[in-house]
Amino acid sequence: MSDDSNNINLTIDGQQVSVPRGTTVLEAARSIRIDIPTFCWHPKLKPAGSCRICYVEIEKARTLMVSCATDVAPDMVVHTASEKVLQGRKAVLEFMLMNHPLDCPTCDKGGECDLQNLTFKHGVDDSRFDFKKYRHIRDKNSTFDDLRIGSEIIRNQNRCILCYKCVRANKDIFGEQDLGAYQRGNITEINTPPGEQVDSLYSGNLVEICPVGALTNTDWRYKIRVWNTQTVDSVCSYCADGCNLTLWKDKQKIYRATSRRNDNIDEGWICDVGRYGYQVPMAEDRLTTPLIKKGDSQVPATWEEALGLISEKFKKIKDERGGVCIGGLISPNLDSLSLHTFSKFFRMVLNSNNVDFRAGYKMLPEKADDLYSKLTSLPFKISDIEKSDLILVLDSDLTKEHPIVNLRVRKAVTQKNASLFALNPITTQTGGIATDEMVYNIGTLHALLNGLCISLIDQNLTQYENARDLKNKLSPNTIEEASRISGIDVARINSLAKAITEVKNISLIAGELLTSSINREQLSGAIINLCLLAGIFDKGQVGVLSQAANSKGAEKLAVMPHLSERSILKIKQIWDKYPDNDGLALDQMIRSSIKEELDSMFIIGSNLMLEYPDGAVVKEGLEKLDFLVVADICETETTQIADVVLPLSTWVEYDSSFVNLESVEQKFKAAIKPVGFSLPAYQIINKIAQGFKTPLFETIDELIPEIKTLLQPDDSQNSFENCAIEYIEEKQNPEFEIPLLITNELHHFGYFTEKSNSLSNFCSEAFLEISPGLAEKLDVKNGSIIRVESEVGKINLPVKISEYIDNDVVRAYRNFSASPVNILQMRKRNIDRVKLTVVEGT
Amino acid sequence: MIIDSNKIQKVIDDSPQDKKQLIMILQNIQLEFHYLPKESIGLVSEYLGMPQSTVYSAATFYKSFSLVPRGENIIKVCKGTACHIKGADLIIDQLYAGIGIKPGQTTKDMKYTIEVVNCVGACAMAPVMIVNDKYFGEVKCNRATKLVKKG
Amino acid sequence: MEKKILTKYIDDPNQVNIDTYLSHGGYKAFEKALKEMKPSEVIEEVKKSGVRGRGGAGFPAGVKWGFIPKDNPKPRYLVCNGDESEPGTCKDRVLMESDPHGVVEGMAISSFAIGSHLAFIYIRGEFAYPARMMEKAVEEAYEKGYLGKNILGTGYDLDMIVHTGGGAYICGEESSQLNSIEGERGMSRMRPPFPAVAGLYACPTIVNNVETLAAVPFIINNGGDWYASMGTEKSKGTKLFSLSGHVKNPGHYELEMGTPLSVLINDLGGGMLDGHKLKAIIPGGSSTPMLLPDQIDVKLDYESLAEAGSMLGSGAVIVIDERTCMVWVAERLIHFYRHESCGKCTPCRDGTGWLEQLISRIERGEGQPGDIEKIESLCGNIMGRTVCPLGDAAVMPIESSIKLFRDEWEYHIQNKKCMVKSEFAFK
Repeated sequence: MSDDSNNINLTIDGQQVSVPRGTTVLEAARSIRIDIPTFCWHPKLKPAGSCRICYVEIEKARTLMVSCATDVAPDMVVHTASEKVLQGRKAVLEFMLMNHPLDCPTCDKGGECDLQNLTFKHGVDDSRFDFKKYRHIRDKNSTFDDLRIGSEIIRNQNRCILCYKCVRANKDIFGEQDLGAYQRGNITEINTPPGEQVDSLYSGNLVEICPVGALTNTDWRYKIRVWNTQTVDSVCSYCADGCNLTLWKDKQKIYRATSRRNDNIDEGWICDVGRYGYQVPMAEDRLTTPLIKKGDSQVPATWEEALGLISEKFKKIKDERGGVCIGGLISPNLDSLSLHTFSKFFRMVLNSNNVDFRAGYKMLPEKADDLYSKLTSLPFKISDIEKSDLILVLDSDLTKEHPIVNLRVRKAVTQKNASLFALNPITTQTGGIATDEMVYNIGTLHALLNGLCISLIDQNLTQYENARDLKNKLSPNTIEEASRISGIDVARINSLAKAITEVKNISLIAGELLTSSINREQLSGAIINLCLLAGIFDKGQVGVLSQAANSKGAEKLAVMPHLSERSILKIKQIWDKYPDNDGLALDQMIRSSIKEELDSMFIIGSNLMLEYPDGAVVKEGLEKLDFLVVADICETETTQIADVVLPLSTWVEYDSSFVNLESVEQKFKAAIKPVGFSLPAYQIINKIAQGFKTPLFETIDELIPEIKTLLQPDDSQNSFENCAIEYIEEKQNPEFEIPLLITNELHHFGYFTEKSNSLSNFCSEAFLEISPGLAEKLDVKNGSIIRVESEVGKINLPVKISEYIDNDVVRAYRNFSASPVNILQMRKRNIDRVKLTVVEGT
Repeated sequence: MIIDSNKIQKVIDDSPQDKKQLIMILQNIQLEFHYLPKESIGLVSEYLGMPQSTVYSAATFYKSFSLVPRGENIIKVCKGTACHIKGADLIIDQLYAGIGIKPGQTTKDMKYTIEVVNCVGACAMAPVMIVNDKYFGEVKCNRATKLVKKG
Repeated sequence: MEKKILTKYIDDPNQVNIDTYLSHGGYKAFEKALKEMKPSEVIEEVKKSGVRGRGGAGFPAGVKWGFIPKDNPKPRYLVCNGDESEPGTCKDRVLMESDPHGVVEGMAISSFAIGSHLAFIYIRGEFAYPARMMEKAVEEAYEKGYLGKNILGTGYDLDMIVHTGGGAYICGEESSQLNSIEGERGMSRMRPPFPAVAGLYACPTIVNNVETLAAVPFIINNGGDWYASMGTEKSKGTKLFSLSGHVKNPGHYELEMGTPLSVLINDLGGGMLDGHKLKAIIPGGSSTPMLLPDQIDVKLDYESLAEAGSMLGSGAVIVIDERTCMVWVAERLIHFYRHESCGKCTPCRDGTGWLEQLISRIERGEGQPGDIEKIESLCGNIMGRTVCPLGDAAVMPIESSIKLFRDEWEYHIQNKKCMVKSEFAFK
């Protein structure tokens, strides 16, 4: 019998095993390394029992049982390889193969096909099926029955064994509805409904979980046989979630990226940006040599020439005007070694604190220990989201910003019955499964949060002792006023307040719309107030999610001008010194350059010309510099105006690490050698430092303990105090009244994703997303060209009418170099506003 | 065949807006047009707030639905076991002789469609033929065509 | 002879009207249950009656009701399975179209017993007339206050929805039927969880056959002991049998369980049509194994038929005479099951397709030596290995046909023609 009520003892193939109640026979067998084959089973999907290959013989059972859907029972005796079981498996294979085309020679799944492997293993070499095979014909003139069902997916129904994994995952995990099973019985087919395509952000996973060659990626097919590739452990470089990847390469070429399941983070799912992002390093137009500006053009140069020039110029500025007249910007998409070396170069060699990684934000804080930084330093775990009873998503279009965090939220809601509240200025996909999706008037989140705080206080739902005192610090300070400003009914605010206090575990997640707001301090303060009142700091987690693959690393590795006392101490500890000057944040650097106080900038991996949210200001700032050095992987609008351009290697070309939004450092390995004469950033920086006769390291091993020290979590408890929060309506020019949001497009995070063919197949040009109501008012259709004009700039964009937009907001995408939408933005405006005119003749 | 989507919409609007009633709404549309015009998938999906894939999935799973146009009069010949052994094939042969089409086909003038159906639960009166939901039991094969034409 | 209980008023054309139904003592049982009994007492009475599932599986209804978890706070549902699709079966149809209130009352009592406030009757799409009759009955029951809020002033609420299918045999299988009601494809679900634990919309759900539920009012009126006094030791009460095929008087007959098959075929059915010789009997719907003429005295109850190598099933008795080719019968059957396979699990989906091709070529006279053995082997690979019973249903008649009429199958292959076809009037 069982030793305790939660564990069950059973015998599998003569071995005793004890597993928790509710474990399936399949899982129990695998826990003692007994292999039972599967097709339709997937660790993250509910068992379907469709394929029947996982038969086992259970003593006293009348028939063979499917182990994937049979729970263990006390004293069960299981045989996984008895004659009856082997016969059953063979029979299933025979059924599956009967109409299977056996076109393995031209099938891309060959070599990694479960059907092929199992057939091989069970030695089924002859079929008793002597009829013509049933064929789902696509083209009578071709033997290839390929059907494109998605931007990157080809379906061959003949090879399908109808395990339904793709349809199940698409619906149950990703919440997508663009794939279904049609007809029935032995002519069932997997397809999109007429006129639709599989184009969700998670579409590549459907191919990855296909056990046969029924779904293949256009990206991978017919390019290489899997046995001719080698695999390399990598980590995604596109967002801060930090999904683990396997890169499949041969020589200097990478052929694909697949998930390397990590249950703490991705649970085996990756988004298409991560999947197809490896194509960026493979771009044809990579920079391969340094370039030096000579007159109006940039001409190829040797590293020696380029480095010589840079050292000479930097030295001159340092000697004559001081190292503080050089500014440094490094992209948070870069690895930890590079970020660390960059900070070390500025602080140790130039004796300057002018380092930053935050290119895309307006009005950065000009001192340390701001509320926003205090919030972002709180511990947060993706896997803990599913422990929550309630999830509060604030100011984040989660699917676009953190596709994998989004899946965890979805799991918590759809599989674990958590309730979700989404507070955003636009409708989001994540909000579709929310208990209440509150679409507030843009720019009024802190007023809404005030309302929520007041609701908690007025309904006596808080144990916070200074509640009354806090209430006096809020403006608006009545729930009615908060409701009026935000546009959210009092009743909804009250019921959210109630819901928050009724649960045991909360995850509060805030995202990019908060981070990029110039009100981020006020918003952070409002969140702190809410957390204090509702006790969220004690019963859950707060995650203000960082955006890029190594944003968290950049914060921790001190790639910021203003550091907390704690960070400064750490730096002094590892380097023995710390520059005694006030550093400039990125937007201060640009303004200083305009004022001709900054002479030079060193930019690595960032296309600042497009990223900075004020096109006119950044142009003026960069053009006024005496000397601009830009290292990047391809030519950009920023490299074009540089005095020296350096070819940068991508993350697949060297070993290093990223620190994900949970502050977990994850190492990745080089898949290929650096392209052309490109170099990793840390090497470029070190070579420049060598020009100063102060190399930063001899071998990178010397940097490892330094990085380790900086990345160490802070043990000290953060204490929070309540904050005065005042909502002030932003003045606006009545001529420009439509609020404009600028975010990432679904399939593009960061500029270089344009270089990925697969991602460009999903979307290759900028557009303006508008509501159906506004489209009607303007009398425009999808594709009509609209002139978008702000006080400072104008641009023409095609229209896309979207159900995700409310009447009074429009959204543009920053990912396309042909459409630099940042020229519409102003650095001091919280909400950029535009007017729209239809361009005639479209 | 061109079907006015407004007409489909009208049929849909007269049906309850309840996801459980999906099959019924499809039946109502088919009752009106004798088949499911392809536009109906999108219209029903919109009306019920259901994904198109679910609607299309159901429309192709349930065999009483046809996605291709069918004749004004639908003749169903039962081939359940009881009808089969009592001469259903002979009815089919007679109908072919009488109106010139086989099961699964529609006459060119769109007047008749013949379908073979599985047991319709009227086994005691086998063999059974159904013309537009009117049941004919113990059909003498030589009278099949006559019965059809009479309706 | 016949023992008319459920079918007592079936020939009265006015029985479909609620007034006539009431004048025959209708809704008395419901009233009794609501006013005089606790739900647990209703379940107890039904358990005592021993009434077993009349859809084919023969599982005791009262026991099934008892499987609903007591501590589950979710709503509970009752589904009346009126998707009568098993070839040869036409008993539920008769009840629904001729005595629809009997079904409504049975559903209402059962809903009360299991604590359900919403009941569905799932009627196959082809049953337009029975569905209309049921709808009318439900409407009348609402009007007279037997459905709706606060029924008969007892505080019990019950709504009833008539749901029609769309043409899929598989939807007669309970888990597929639940998917179909939810507006999904009628694909079978893995069990566990059983519907009584997580059925419709993942809530506890009881699915019972029309005939099972129609018996409930009689059990409540007369007591479980009264019902149990009819029939045999383990097969209680009466059962409707649908008699079809080559007999003089096909039709539906209500018999006490344990009545000999010969009584049904010869005494009630009037014997063989046109004086031909009996060749085989399918006793419980097309998916049950066949019986031979020398088994005609077998008793019609669950145990006796099981002992005879077949099943009581849905009580659809199809009589086949000497002129019928068994390969031809099997071909049509396998075509049917292949067409109705939902496509969820491999053995049923692919196996029925393969069997159809094999049997069809034998029927056409193109069979190969070894085909029969291959069919037997394939049947073995399907039997007991599928998600739902459709796989078993498809192969049982094939296996039995080969077992009982192997010579005919072999003749087909060896002589490339049929042993009996030449003189058969129906082909």
